[in-house]
Amino acid sequence: MENDIEFRGVSFRYAGAQKDALQAINLTIQPGEIVLVTGPAGSGKTTFCSCINGLVPHYHEGELLGQVIVRSYDTRRARIGGLASLVGMVFQDPDSQLVTSSVVDEVAFGPENLGVPRTEINRRVTEALSATRLTGFEEREPHNLSGGEQQACAIAATYAMQPDIYVMDEPLANLDPEGRLQVLQVLIDVAKLRQKTLIIVEHSLEEVLPFVDRVIVMEAGRIVRDGTLDEVLAGGDLPRVFTRPAIVRLADTFGLDLKTFSAEKFYADLTARKPLGMIEAAAAPAPVMGTSSTALIEFRNVHFAYKGQPALRGVNLTIYEGELVAILGRNGSGKTTLARHIIGLLHPAQGSVIVGGRDVARTPTHELTQQIGFCFQNPNHQIVSFKVRDEMTFGLKAHNIDPGEFEGRIQRALELVDLLDVIEAEIFDLGKGQKQRLALASVLTLNPQILVIDEPTTGQDPQMTREIFDIIKHLNDLGTTVLMITHRVDYAASYAQRAIVMNRGEVAFDGPVLDLVADVDMMRANALELPDVTKLVLQLRKHGIPPWTIQYEQLEHYLRLLMENSHGD
Amino acid sequence: MAIEYQKGHGFLHRLDARTKLLLFVGMTILAIVVVDPILMGLLFTTLYILGRRSVNPKLLNSNLRVLIVVFLTFAIFQIIFFETEDSHFLFYLIPFRDWIPVTVEGLIRGLAVFFRFFSVVLAVHLMLYTTPPVDLALTITKRDQSPRRDTEIALTLILGFILFVIAHLVRAEDIRALPFDGWLRTLVIFFGALLAAYLFQKLAGHGLPPEMGMALTLGFATVGLLSKQTEIIMDAQKARGYDVKPRNLIRRLQVFAALLLPIFLATLERSQDISVAILSRGFDYNIGARTYRRQLKFQTQDYMVLAILVLLLFGSLYLNYLQLGNLMEQFVLNLLNRQ
Repeated sequence: MENDIEFRGVSFRYAGAQKDALQAINLTIQPGEIVLVTGPAGSGKTTFCSCINGLVPHYHEGELLGQVIVRSYDTRRARIGGLASLVGMVFQDPDSQLVTSSVVDEVAFGPENLGVPRTEINRRVTEALSATRLTGFEEREPHNLSGGEQQACAIAATYAMQPDIYVMDEPLANLDPEGRLQVLQVLIDVAKLRQKTLIIVEHSLEEVLPFVDRVIVMEAGRIVRDGTLDEVLAGGDLPRVFTRPAIVRLADTFGLDLKTFSAEKFYADLTARKPLGMIEAAAAPAPVMGTSSTALIEFRNVHFAYKGQPALRGVNLTIYEGELVAILGRNGSGKTTLARHIIGLLHPAQGSVIVGGRDVARTPTHELTQQIGFCFQNPNHQIVSFKVRDEMTFGLKAHNIDPGEFEGRIQRALELVDLLDVIEAEIFDLGKGQKQRLALASVLTLNPQILVIDEPTTGQDPQMTREIFDIIKHLNDLGTTVLMITHRVDYAASYAQRAIVMNRGEVAFDGPVLDLVADVDMMRANALELPDVTKLVLQLRKHGIPPWTIQYEQLEHYLRLLMENSHGD
Repeated sequence: MAIEYQKGHGFLHRLDARTKLLLFVGMTILAIVVVDPILMGLLFTTLYILGRRSVNPKLLNSNLRVLIVVFLTFAIFQIIFFETEDSHFLFYLIPFRDWIPVTVEGLIRGLAVFFRFFSVVLAVHLMLYTTPPVDLALTITKRDQSPRRDTEIALTLILGFILFVIAHLVRAEDIRALPFDGWLRTLVIFFGALLAAYLFQKLAGHGLPPEMGMALTLGFATVGLLSKQTEIIMDAQKARGYDVKPRNLIRRLQVFAALLLPIFLATLERSQDISVAILSRGFDYNIGARTYRRQLKFQTQDYMVLAILVLLLFGSLYLNYLQLGNLMEQFVLNLLNRQ
């Protein structure tokens, strides 16, 4: 059978770049294959996708060597428009790829471009909306949909063009757990329904691996591993590049089937091999909360509504000095609204917010910022300069800090986020993770007592996510009180002490983060993703493994104990 | 305040986008032709009542309220500076110095000017409030490869006839001065009107190339998003400790400059995203052969609205022809003369 996609010695270097984005790529992909492409940020995954639909070299300029053949067409000679009828591409950020003002228009846009007759367009739109579960959303505005719905809409728009090949560039990255599940299901449905080739780029392996036939791992523009799911899983981990999901690694350690993706299967396989005994339950860890009794932030019965839509409903909270608090919850549950009240970007309609003894409603935001640092989700929204040094100085000037202190403060802040080496760089040259850290550093120059961070790890690879959490933990150790909005329960559980879960504008949970993780019903009710380790612990609870186990190493240790114990039986 | 499309199912919403565009053009011509304040006031009121039924009256009023001040100023200028030799003096605006005389004619024209401006602006508002921008862009985009012959001929004939009548109503004296007599004169005028109509029809029927039409459509869809983005950026700046509205003017300029860079970058980024997105969805596949899901369709109500508009236009032209264009002024002057 003819290949769907063939790369023959492909290298590509973006115009003006120092390094090749792709280096000597050779591969073929057969029709109907479902392929996962993974690897750290900057490893060339997006460039790889752009080669397939002709954006490279027709839109992104640079030097392309070798040949990319898509369904017998050389992409160098084809036009993007022509390739678009063969290759459907969905990008990471749903907001940036929706271009019209209603869902129907959006889905019809592709077929219209291809010159499909009107009646056929209407048929395809209906079909695409039902395949992506968006029936009933026809007249909604794409930008007012939830992230999951937006991504589903982008997929529907591609589906309606009836391409032979689907290329999805991190389609799940910007979504909350509920949205991720929805979109993943849609993706698999779409590929299976039409028996089409699907190439999916993704970092979160836990969710995607169960569905794919083949895995390609990339690093620094090269393919470092390429094989069937079994082969790649058997090949083990590659440090900093490819880490298999916790359950797979444990399955490997204890000699179980490598294609173990669910805790249930792991437990069933393990008990099938030998009956498990009990281990002595270790004592619960002493709660680390209440390190200080000084209340720093107080919400007193706060109500707030956007245009009549209630966003906060009677929130009562006290944050103490020195705490590291994770704020969790679905998209739209009121997390960001809550954070915005702390710095006075929003004022309560009823009740009051007191920060460091001052009523937020009566204090101008720029005065509050002397005490509170606030990082937005998208660093591009808060960067105001072209150079790193200028950016760092800007806040200092705004607050009339003595210029003699500038250098010391800048050096210290950049050191905290490990960016000292780029102090003279242009901001355009920084990567996504670096920009996020720069935005954080520019806030740190003012030595804030409180740090509020809105989803610092959206769309970052596991390595960058860990770095950011390490920085935040370090700042907290130095005495900064930190409130952090995040979707990553697994990281929150290992870094934060306290968790607050918001649900429809109310505080659904407020307590030690380990208690939250152990409270399965609470987690499910708020669409919080259970970390792999927790899922396993839930299965193994009856054998004495303590429910607050969260670290992989800890679990491995307990499992070993358990296996030894049952060996002695 | 931005005039954004409001979803709804009112009478105006149900009209074809082209009808509303023509309604706006028609109101503009009427505002030029009609001089009588009562007639203009009636037109304005009719349009306003029509608008209230389709658009949230609160929104409509809040937008128009601002404009009252502007148009009153226009009207006052008209009242103050309108002065002809035989105008009827009423009083001086600044009494003891005998400065700025106010005349009857000035007052009446001022009132008319007020309604004329207001009617045109109201027509624009109603068009934008009740028509999705996409439809508006479509109305001025060339779509069909080959326009149908018969509709072309019909349009030319209708337009030609209208022009023919207008010519007789407005330029009657010039026509009489032409060096032809009787039926020959009529024939010349008729063919002239027909030729003008044909040219106009060709030009207007051609429309924008589809690339530009699509650019308009995509632009409209982006406006809301960009303003949302600007808001986020302003909040981000506030959160970094900039006093976004400082009293010091120089400081305020600095703050404004600090806002410009992220807004500019966000816009640039957005436009790049859009080009990648539309290219990936086959925008350059074959733009000339592009099809459209949206269909513009004239219905009975559209023909009715257009017929009324044409009647009003002819009616007011005819009134002017009969020297009855400014009934109110004549009425008031008659009253004054009788005393």
